[in-house]
Parts: sequence; structure tokens; C-alpha cells
Amino acid sequence: MTAFLQTLVFGVATGAVISLSAVGLSLSYGVTRFINFSYGEFLTLGAYFTVLGVALGLSLPLAVVLAMVGVGVAGVVLARIFFDPLMDRGFLALLVTSVGLAFVLQNVVRMFAGSNPIRFPLPLMRPWHVGALFVPKVPVLVVVVALLAMVGVHLLLTLTRVGKMMRATSDNPSLARASGISTARVLAATWFLSSAIGALGGVLLAMTQIAVQPVMGWSFLLVVFAAVLLGGIGNPYGAMLGSLVVGLGIELGTTYVSPDYGHAFAFLILVLVLLLRPRGILRGAF
Amino acid sequence: MALLPFLVGLLTLALIYGLLALGLNLQYGVTGLLNFGHVAFFAVGAFTSALLTLPPRGSAAYLQADAHYQIGLGWPVPVGFLLAGVAGGLVALLIGATSVRLSSHYLAIATFAMAEIVRSVLTNADWLTRGEFGISNVPQPLKDTVIPAGVYPYAYLAATAVVVAVLLALTVRLTESPYGRALRAVRDDEVAARSLGKQTPALKLGAFAVGGALAGFAGSLWTHSLGVVHVGQFVPIVTFQVWLAVLMGGSGNAYGALLGSLALMAITQGTRFLGDVPLLSGLTRRNPSFVPSLRFVLIGLLLIGVVRFFPRGILPERPRRPPRNVGRRGSENRLGSAADAGAVGGGVSDDRPSDRPASDRPPSDDGTSDDGRSSEADASADPGALDSSPDREPR
Repeated sequence: MTAFLQTLVFGVATGAVISLSAVGLSLSYGVTRFINFSYGEFLTLGAYFTVLGVALGLSLPLAVVLAMVGVGVAGVVLARIFFDPLMDRGFLALLVTSVGLAFVLQNVVRMFAGSNPIRFPLPLMRPWHVGALFVPKVPVLVVVVALLAMVGVHLLLTLTRVGKMMRATSDNPSLARASGISTARVLAATWFLSSAIGALGGVLLAMTQIAVQPVMGWSFLLVVFAAVLLGGIGNPYGAMLGSLVVGLGIELGTTYVSPDYGHAFAFLILVLVLLLRPRGILRGAF
Repeated sequence: MALLPFLVGLLTLALIYGLLALGLNLQYGVTGLLNFGHVAFFAVGAFTSALLTLPPRGSAAYLQADAHYQIGLGWPVPVGFLLAGVAGGLVALLIGATSVRLSSHYLAIATFAMAEIVRSVLTNADWLTRGEFGISNVPQPLKDTVIPAGVYPYAYLAATAVVVAVLLALTVRLTESPYGRALRAVRDDEVAARSLGKQTPALKLGAFAVGGALAGFAGSLWTHSLGVVHVGQFVPIVTFQVWLAVLMGGSGNAYGALLGSLALMAITQGTRFLGDVPLLSGLTRRNPSFVPSLRFVLIGLLLIGVVRFFPRGILPERPRRPPRNVGRRGSENRLGSAADAGAVGGGVSDDRPSDRPASDRPPSDDGTSDDGRSSEADASADPGALDSSPDREPR
């Protein structure tokens, strides 16, 4: 029983990391309508920028914020250079371009930071003991940060003007344009937001994995895809729910089925969702 | 550095990748299936061929090589080669049967995920594949017994060239047949193909399986050329290198796929010497992964550049004539490749609006598009068949 609760705690934490990244990916899909294979690299970049910031003497929270801004700007610039010119060329072009961009970014990171894992500069925190349960602080911190960020995204989407413009564009681009919304600016705002969220997701991922390495985002990408599709693509709220399921699935599978397969459980969930319920738990925006 | 052995190695590799590209070209170029997990079939073929041909456990060769694998059947290499294709095809059939109905985006993600599952299984099935360690004494046929080691790479290149040439001829034959025409119809307009009675899921599954089999053959050629097999060779970037070869060569054109692979290998192997460039060698000393990473950056940039500036490739697919006399609107369609070769007789559809070349093909009654021969018979023998049943309900 204790072991089961323990697994649940880790499952929720994993789910929270996936969740945040999935929300970011979902946001960008809602407006751009293609599945971005380079999204994982925004996670990697976010984590590496944070490590760099701390190495330069910044405090960890400040480094995280700066990394988010940096990756957000990078997302806008990269989208302007690589994706915008292809927007009317069909999604194969976008898909392949995003794969190419993923290789470029991942290997640029490797060129400058090397292949070896670098320890993420997180201060050592002693776990809490709740009865027989042992609750490490890092997963709790991860869950809290992820929840705060998602509440923030929710408020942004529902209360602010730019959030409403994003949702309008996602629902119906031509209607949004007809009512005077500048789609180009909404697109840029969405890229910024989704990349910055991805950067924060990367920081949380690095916290749970203790170290950063160049492939971290790429190998995490399918897990995020699984959550996004499970929740219904393009639907940020579905993505949150889907992530919880995938996170619990990974942890339960690792504990009770086989520890060797890890992410493969997420891929299995992904394939099952695609086969049985391709529109997700909550119907996504199509 | 000796130039000749390098060139021989490059050509062998280009032919093996050419075979992979031939398979992907059949799946994507001809049928329009977004397969992002091609490497899985390659891996399955490689392991099948290796495990079938390895000397059995406990045999003299096993002891001599100080090997540790569990399974080795000691079968002849040609059998391993054939069964590698069968295995690749079967895995493709299995993966395709579950996912080929998915629409494009989802198919891409599903195949990508399935390939990762296959890799995960191969990595963890230590008893079968020796996991990360790999198996290093995969037999190289006739080496040292008939062909001296010195000329072996040349002999292997020649044998590979023959095998690839035969498979290329068969593939071209397949794609130029009525079956291939049906596959292109699926790519160009699946709804139209279905409404004409083509069993599009079966067609797609067939193309997927044949493409998988070609990748399986490639896996066999690859593992016996190296004498080594381990899971680390089968990472997703292999899939996308094959994509680069297909797109660069001209998707939809089998010869383009081969040419694209040659170009790909010239680029990836040629850039191995970047480390010797004086300016870069300083950086290399500080970070040993600098040059390998730079090569992957180049591959990524190339993928982006080809898609953006060179989408038709070196050898674009031959534009196919729409049938004559099908009304003005028929000729305005892009490529019109679904309706090939003018097999359909004159004027059958003048009396009703036709938006697509595919809709000018006669409906086939039996729907057994698997062999495609029946629809050819319909088209050539009885062009007037449309008049008798012009408004058949789509299935």
C-alpha cells in the first residue's frame, strides 16, 4: 500500500512535468495546426539556459525566468525563419522541417555543451516523512510550479485580450481575421508563450532527472505527444488530464510491470489512444 | 587515407540506404503514407538475419569467437537474407494493420512511437539481442574461405549491387503496374479512389508491408557487411536520413531514391573529414562530439533546405498524362497521376462533371484491389463499362 502511494506521488510529479510541456505544445498546435517535432528542443534549451545562467552567477529563479524569456524569443525567431514561409505548403513540409530543426537545435547544444550530462544546480532538499510515506521535496516543488504555471496560462487565455485572440484564432482563423485580429501577431504571441512554457517544462524535467543532457527534450517528446493526443489535440485542458494519465501510467508500469521499459509505457498509451480514441478523452479542436 | 576502400564503403552504404529509400519511397512517394518509423523494419531485418545465420551456441565457431548470445541457428546467409525481408514485411504488416487507417499526422506519430517501442523491446530483450552490447561476430558470407579478406569489400559491393538492382527492377515493375497506379490514386485522392471501389486500407497496408520488407532486406545487407549488430545503430535519425534521401532524390521516383541515397552518403561520409579542417581541429580537441554534432546539424539543415527550396528533388516523378478526352476540367488537375496511361476510352464522362482524374477510372466491381489485375482488365477491355453503371454508390 505504501509502495502504491509512493508510486502515485511520483506519478503525479511526472504527470505535472508532462502536463506543462503538453499545454505548451497544445497551444502552438491550436494556432499553427501542425505537430511540432522540434518542441522537445525548447525544453532542452530552457534547461541548458538555466544551467548557463546559474553558472554565470544568477540565482536559480532568476535564471529560470531569463531562460523562459530567451527561449520564448528564440521560438518566435525560429518560427519566423523556418515555419512561417511554409505555412501554405501543407503539413508534410512543416513536419519534416520541424524534424530538421530538432536535429539542428539538439546538435548545436551538443556542439557547445558536449554530450555528457551536466548536473542541474538544484540545492539539496531533505525529504519529508509523512507516516511511512517518504515524500521528497523535488516532486512537490515540481507539481506546485507546474500548477501555478498552468493557472497562469488559464488566466491568460480567459482574461487577457491576447489570450482571447489566441483562442479565437485557434477556433476559426478566418473568422478571427475577419473580426480584425492580426493573425501574424497572434501567431508570434503563441510561439512566444508555447516556447517559454516549454522552457519551464524543460527546467522541471531537469529537476526530476537531476541532470541535463542534449537528448533530454527529444526523448521526452513522444511522452508529451502521448499526453497531448490522449487529451485531445489542440485542447490545453485535455492536455492536462492526458498528462496525468500518462505520468501515472509510466510510474505504475515501471513499478509493477517492468522497470526497463519506462517511456515505452507512454508510447503504448499513445498507440492505444490513436487506435481506440483518436480524438482524445476531451474532444480536441480540429 | 586510401581513397578506393573509402569509395567502396561509401557505395555499399549508399546502396543499402538506397534500398531503405526504395521502401520509404513506395510508402510515402507512391502511396503517400507518412512513415516516421522506417528504422524499425531495418532493425528487425538486421537482427533476424544476424540471429538466423550466427553459428549455433556451443559450436566451435561460437567458442572461438568467445561469444555470449543465446540464439544462433547457423543457417546459410541467403536464407537469413530472405527471412529478414519476410520479418521486416511482417512487422510492417503488424504495425500497419493497427495504424494505417490513421490520417497523416497521426500515422506519422504512431509509426514514430511504434519504432521507439520496437527499439525499446530490442534494447531490453538481452537474451535475444544482447541489448546495448550487441553481437559482434555476425557471419560474412564466403569471407576467407572463397574470397580473400583483401578483396572482400569489392565482392560485397558487387553482390549488394546485384541484389539492389533486382529489387529495384521488381519495385519499378510493381509501381508501374495497375497496382502501382492504384497506390498513386490513394496518394492523390483517397476519397476518390475509395469511391471507385478501391479497398484503400488494403492498398495502403500492402504498400506499407512491401516497403517494410525492402527495409528488412536492407537490414540484412547492412549487418552482414559490418559483421556487427547492436541496437544503438537503429536510432530515429536513421529514419530521417532515409527521408532526406527520398526527398532529395525526388519522391515518387525509385531511381531518385537511389540517387538521393548516393547524395546523402556523399554528404554524411564526406563530412567525416571535417575534423581534419585546421580551423575546427582546435574545437574538436576541447569537445570530442563537436564534429559529429556538426554533421547532424548539416543533415538537419539539409532536410529543412530540401523541403523549402527543392521540394521536387533531383529526379522528380515523371508527370503522368491524364487520359485524353475527359473534358477540360480533367486536365487542370495537379499531375493527374492517378489516372495513368490513357487506358480509359474516349468521352465516357463528358455528360457529368468530373473534378478529378481518378474519377474517370472505371469502378471495379470486385474490390479486390490487392492484385489490381482485375481493374486493369476492366479498364482496357471494356471502356464502355462506365456507361452501364455510371453512378455506382461508393462503398
